[in-house]
Amino acid sequence: MDYLTPPRDERTQPQRVIAGYPQTARRTPAQPLVRREPTLSELTGPLAPAGRLALLGGDIAGHREKRAIGQLMHLCVRVLDEDGAPVGGAVVEMWQANAAGRYIHPNDDDHAPVDANFYGAARLVTDETGAFTLRTVKPGGYPVPGSGGWWRPPHVHFSIFGRVWLSRLVTQMYFPGEPLNGQDRILNAVPDAAARERLVARLEPPRGEPYDALVYEHQIVLRGRAATPGQA
Amino acid sequence: MKRAAALVPTGEATVGPFFPPRYVDAGANDLTALEGRRARGETIEIHGAVREEDGAPLENLIVEIWQADARGIYRHPADPRHAEADPDFLGWGRSATGAAGEYRFRTIRPGAPAGRAPHVNVMLMFSGLMRILKTTLFFEGDPRNDSDPVYCCVPASRRELLVARSKGEDNFEFSIQLRGGRETPFFDD
Repeated sequence: MDYLTPPRDERTQPQRVIAGYPQTARRTPAQPLVRREPTLSELTGPLAPAGRLALLGGDIAGHREKRAIGQLMHLCVRVLDEDGAPVGGAVVEMWQANAAGRYIHPNDDDHAPVDANFYGAARLVTDETGAFTLRTVKPGGYPVPGSGGWWRPPHVHFSIFGRVWLSRLVTQMYFPGEPLNGQDRILNAVPDAAARERLVARLEPPRGEPYDALVYEHQIVLRGRAATPGQA
Repeated sequence: MKRAAALVPTGEATVGPFFPPRYVDAGANDLTALEGRRARGETIEIHGAVREEDGAPLENLIVEIWQADARGIYRHPADPRHAEADPDFLGWGRSATGAAGEYRFRTIRPGAPAGRAPHVNVMLMFSGLMRILKTTLFFEGDPRNDSDPVYCCVPASRRELLVARSKGEDNFEFSIQLRGGRETPFFDD
């Protein structure tokens, strides 16, 4: 299938250099990015990297005595392309902090406790409807060291392989109603308010006895449109 | 199929400082075999260091590559020749930089895709990079570089920064400067 990747509206994407996030100024290219017409190299991509990447299950909250601390949640995500067509078979990598705002990573310091029952990462593949579901706990916010009081709001990281090289996406998902959302330097780097709003998951009613998990739904749109309408 | 109204692609964000180390799977930087079967072609090594503005090396930066097989075919249905693609070559790999900013891939020397010089597509993800950075690696001394459409859309004075330097027969160095000095050209697609 041929795929088109029209240029994106810059206002729907984050600014590259952010005041109060000094690493962005040291790492963002100073020269203008070079415009190029996509070639076959950009309009192909790894379709089955799952063969190279070990899949981890979508249930990372644990059970009974191994249950992670925090509010249980089911995160139901759909991955679509710009036509609204589901992107099935996409490898999704997610990672998040624990309920106290701590990552299992050498870069995280000692500001909050580790939860022995929570690693906070899942790698899975979307089904034919573009959907995947995670059973996890809601992450906590955390302070960014040396930032003069910037706290990241609760969020979940995603890295997604789409159908072509230009569909590759790294993004973050936020939670509705969080007071820290309004001052987050990363979320608010996206100029367009509607585009920011689309980075926030939707809270849905809990589903079924024993109603023990919050339910959040979220939609992720990868770059790309089918060149020929109707072509599968 | 009725076509839905166009949706807006989701906003990108940085991977941040906490990309899980277990996502850099053992062997993910070796493209020369798939499920134990050896890919066709000449094995080469591509390596280099990634640095930020003041030249400081960046550790734990994620480098991903995507390339055609030894005959220049992509393993993807958009390539008209994909049915002939090497079944033992996926063409994708991932490496994380070490303390000196170094990354390393073992791969197959790519052939020339139609209308292109042999090349390797590179993307970088890191804390402080709000978008994925994309560049393209070309091979030193290949006469096809000068007619490659991607190579040629870079200002002439900066093209050499896209060229991996030969460090021996099967060994190429491609160091990457994110900003300032000999800044690597990056692409806006």
